[in-house]
Amino acid sequence: MKVVSIILFVLLGLGAINGTFVVRESEQALITQFGKILGEPVSKAGLYVKIPFIQDVRYFDKRILSWDGDPNQIPTKDKKYIIVDTTARWRISDSVKFAQTVQDESGAAARLDGILDGVTRDIISRHNLVEAVRNTNTILDRVQAKLNKPKSEELPSDVTKLIEIEEEISGEIEAIQVGRERLSDAILERTRPELISLGIELIDVQLRRIAYEASVETKVFSRMISERQRIAEKIRSLGKAEEARIKGKMNLDLQEIESTAYRKSEEVRGKADAEAISIYAQSLGREPEFYNFLRTLEAYRKSLPEKAELILSTNSEFLKQLKQKK
Amino acid sequence: MQYDVAMSIHQFPPKTPQDEFAAVLETLSQIFSKGSKGIGASIVAVLFLLYAATTSFYTIDVSEEGVVVRFGKYIQTTPPGLHFKLPFGIDQVNKVASKRRLQQEFGFRSSGVSGGRTTYTDKGHAMESLMLTGDLNVADVSWILQYEIRDPWKYLFHARDVERNIRDVSLSIMRRVVGDRLVGDILTVGRVEIADEAKRLTQEVIDRYDMGIKIVTINLQDVNPPEAVKPAFNDVNAAKQQQEEAINVAEREYNRFVPEARGRADQRNSEAEAYSINAINRAKGDASRFRSITDEYQKAPEITRSRLYIETMEELVTKTKKLTIVDDELKGVLPIFGGLKGEK
Repeated sequence: MKVVSIILFVLLGLGAINGTFVVRESEQALITQFGKILGEPVSKAGLYVKIPFIQDVRYFDKRILSWDGDPNQIPTKDKKYIIVDTTARWRISDSVKFAQTVQDESGAAARLDGILDGVTRDIISRHNLVEAVRNTNTILDRVQAKLNKPKSEELPSDVTKLIEIEEEISGEIEAIQVGRERLSDAILERTRPELISLGIELIDVQLRRIAYEASVETKVFSRMISERQRIAEKIRSLGKAEEARIKGKMNLDLQEIESTAYRKSEEVRGKADAEAISIYAQSLGREPEFYNFLRTLEAYRKSLPEKAELILSTNSEFLKQLKQKK
Repeated sequence: MQYDVAMSIHQFPPKTPQDEFAAVLETLSQIFSKGSKGIGASIVAVLFLLYAATTSFYTIDVSEEGVVVRFGKYIQTTPPGLHFKLPFGIDQVNKVASKRRLQQEFGFRSSGVSGGRTTYTDKGHAMESLMLTGDLNVADVSWILQYEIRDPWKYLFHARDVERNIRDVSLSIMRRVVGDRLVGDILTVGRVEIADEAKRLTQEVIDRYDMGIKIVTINLQDVNPPEAVKPAFNDVNAAKQQQEEAINVAEREYNRFVPEARGRADQRNSEAEAYSINAINRAKGDASRFRSITDEYQKAPEITRSRLYIETMEELVTKTKKLTIVDDELKGVLPIFGGLKGEK
């Protein structure tokens, strides 16, 4: 009797435990009876009852789940090999369909892998690389704005500006038609209907990473290097050009300054001489003969050295009196 | 993912946790006082009570909030402090660091603190940081994203792996923003603009998931050319320096010679002016003197001439060292020429 009551008690306890189940905020639950799904899924959190031992509960996450694809090597339309790494967010929108078609999350992940990888490959390979890299054509405006930037008159800054433009517009710039965001939207739209039938709602697809495939990357790097080298050389040669320009300008300026100074000073001197001549001519013209006489005497006085030896003839005007006396 | 249902021995839902706890205690004391099955039962009762006590309280740290669920159902969000809950796992608390500013790193990881300074590694994160630019070059961009949990309930129950979603979105958005720019802009001037745009767009996408997350800031850390290309980029910078230097040297030389030449030119002009003034004044002076003399000369020309001539000759003759007078009737006075040569 005692044993029977204990067994009964234990059975009752087990029944109480097995007859209740908890659905958490993050979950939804399906009640199954011998594998068959019963009624609507339970999506509100709380404590629930079921028939013990006969009914089973299967739980499914209600939250946003993420899918992480393997990085895929895909050739683009313009034959560039890139690695595309996509992720997606999804949720179990219809747990009944979900349970029937993919069983559980790992089943879903396998289906997502197949569907998303395929569509991603298809869409990426139908477009040029730029479509997956750029989202808009604003880059073209940026380039245009740079080219239109008014150049200042000053020499040195003019030079630097030239270099900037040269530097920034390297690589390939072509207009895009679709863009990154719309590519991932396209992947989303293409895969969505198929996934709905699996009870999966795809929320978004993100192109998490797009990278050059290793061999392409090497080529891109060497292109970048050669570009930089080209730019560096250009900068250096512009520097040398500027240097030569300044030196040339220096020579020009020096010559100009010197010759102008020479010209001006000679002009001034010439004018002064002319004026002096005219002044002399005016005043001396009154008595040219007397001026001759006077100036000659002065010249004698100035030009004959002191203590000179002088030989004079008695014929000279000064000594003629000596002769008369004799 | 099975829920370990704690054993329940009473009806639900209870009014308040406190009432419920009191009820439990009463029930227990009744059970054990009635039976009085001896020491064994008492020990079980004590252990049971201890277990109940230890699972009835929880503390929430200042930086956290507690999200309480009862049988899986959300009850309340509790602030920091000591709180009461139903024991045996009936009430469960999820602690969410909602007051803390959380950080995700991209392209590098702070690897620890050494010598009071955080050290960073960026090895092996090239997958995160290498990205294509709008001109199909490659840039190496690392950044941090700081965020806060604004709504603990949404954080817990709207998405399974919130951090991973944030990472995925940020990786994707940063590439989108960088993808619309020229490599030159990214490496130089565009950093703040990139961070701002990335923050705005990341928040936009995160909001679509409704995970209760607010992006506080995105900061670009290192923005570099890829390692293999770095020397070439550095060479460009070196070239810029060289260019500047060449120009500076040339300008220095210009500045050394041209102002001096200007000065010399001015000097030359001044000298010419001086000459001019001198010549003209002299001419005027001479002219004026001559005019005065002629005025008087004209009154007695003959006598003046004679006087001036004689005076001059007198002066000259007195100054001479040796005067030789030669009569014009005398012939052949050769000997003097020898003497003439030596003295002058």
